[in-house]
Amino acid sequence: MNSLEKIAATIKMQHVECVPVIAQVFGHAATLTGISINQYVRNGEILARCQLNAQRKYGYDAVFSVMDTSVETEALGSILHYYQNMYPVVVTHVLSPGSDWNDLAAPDPQKAGRMPEMLKALGILRKELGDQTLVVGCVVGPFTLVGQLLGLENTLYLAIDDPERLERLLDFATEVLISFGRAQLKAGAHLPIVFDPAASPAVIPPALFREFEMPRLRRLFQALESRGSAANWLHIAGPTASILPYYRDAGVDIANFDYCVSMNDASNMLPTICLDGNIKSLSFVEGTPAEIRKESKKLLRFFRERGGFILSSGCEIPLESRPENIAAMVEAVQTKE
Amino acid sequence: MKAFISAVLEGDCDKSVHDAKELSESGVSSENIVVNGLEAAMSALDAKCTLEEFNLLEIMLAGRAVMAVMKLLYPSGVATNASKGTIVIATLEGDVHDLGKNILKMVLIGKGYRVIDCGKDCPLQKLIETTANENPIAIGISGLITPVIVQVKQVKGLLAEHKLNQVKVVAGGAALKQSSPEKLNVDFVAESAFDCLHYLEKVTEATL
Repeated sequence: MNSLEKIAATIKMQHVECVPVIAQVFGHAATLTGISINQYVRNGEILARCQLNAQRKYGYDAVFSVMDTSVETEALGSILHYYQNMYPVVVTHVLSPGSDWNDLAAPDPQKAGRMPEMLKALGILRKELGDQTLVVGCVVGPFTLVGQLLGLENTLYLAIDDPERLERLLDFATEVLISFGRAQLKAGAHLPIVFDPAASPAVIPPALFREFEMPRLRRLFQALESRGSAANWLHIAGPTASILPYYRDAGVDIANFDYCVSMNDASNMLPTICLDGNIKSLSFVEGTPAEIRKESKKLLRFFRERGGFILSSGCEIPLESRPENIAAMVEAVQTKE
Repeated sequence: MKAFISAVLEGDCDKSVHDAKELSESGVSSENIVVNGLEAAMSALDAKCTLEEFNLLEIMLAGRAVMAVMKLLYPSGVATNASKGTIVIATLEGDVHDLGKNILKMVLIGKGYRVIDCGKDCPLQKLIETTANENPIAIGISGLITPVIVQVKQVKGLLAEHKLNQVKVVAGGAALKQSSPEKLNVDFVAESAFDCLHYLEKVTEATL
């Protein structure tokens, strides 16, 4: 079985000889290749080359055309500050609570900001890897995009002060993400992962997730599925135990869970949905290969009977991670106990 | 006062300001409104918020009410009753995620601390200079991304260079709380804003 076939079988909860392993390596691929993050997040060709280099080195089952979480907001007019070796950040949000939002128009993914570079990277990755290895694009979730357009605090206050206005903005964000996600599929992605850090219960109450975000995630996933997305992969980090029960209604096929959610909770709440996680991200920086191996084996043992599991980190593998720690996670699925 | 406390707890900003104005006009001192009103509301919120049931939005709304009442009581921005001491807070260079820092600020102000906010994307030099000028009990650093860890590790050394060894360093936020005080070279790693408050209260008690 190649990587893509293994993942497809795992999503269907079928038994696989070797459990898929996906290191969430994004900017670390640049660090590993000796390229600055500044170049990596601006140039699709460089991004693809770094991703291929990292995948060849470690041998995991997916590559990512992921720049950072500010691609969409920049395409809509927010201003970013770029660092040499850190991800860019929003310095001026395109919207303010008092501004008129009626003129907002969805950006053209072929032209706006860095969107075309992300698409270029997907084209290269798919051409190189074909249907052997999963090629993953990325859109942020609707709540995260609104948080990036308006600022997170303003967004949260708006949820209380003028929920109808927030809902209109969330609907607009959803349309932007559908258009960008579909462009990614056309460019070569097998699927776009949906990153929604601002929808974490660390930020919004579960009721707000259920009422505001879940229906829009469902709409987004349905729209991507109708254009051939291989699976609906939702990535929300932090203490998500209280929102996992809503994932089924959102149409999630692969649910990421972070280190602060127990294997038991994740498995009990989503008994028939494929899970990926949940090694603590920082342990790839601070830990040792022996510790990573131990954590990996614990997860593999727990999910052996259940199936439907992809070994991974709980969130992104940090830029400054030790390569031997990533290698230890990948090796864990290949070695028998 | 009871109705005022409820309004703050419910995050009803307009009613909180209205009630504080009425209390003030009826002769209740600003200090009394802060100590028996705002601090009582924050303590009630503290008791409600466990690590499992941590409703950030609820804290933000109460915090917004606290800030509006403080602005009413102390229009110049100087709270004369901030008797518990000064805390310097910052999100370090390269990190613009300041929601956690802002929550901490509201909680600390609500509990009677004087807070000097160095803002987000703050260079270490600015943090140390501010600390040297303001004589705080502690520095609170919030970090959402791991690359700032390199800077966090340097803070205590820089404080020592400036003979500011007595200043405690507290770290918090999604990235930093995955680590430990030893690895970050700080005095305490807080799980939440209230966890940070509890640590500071212990430090304050010990120094009084």
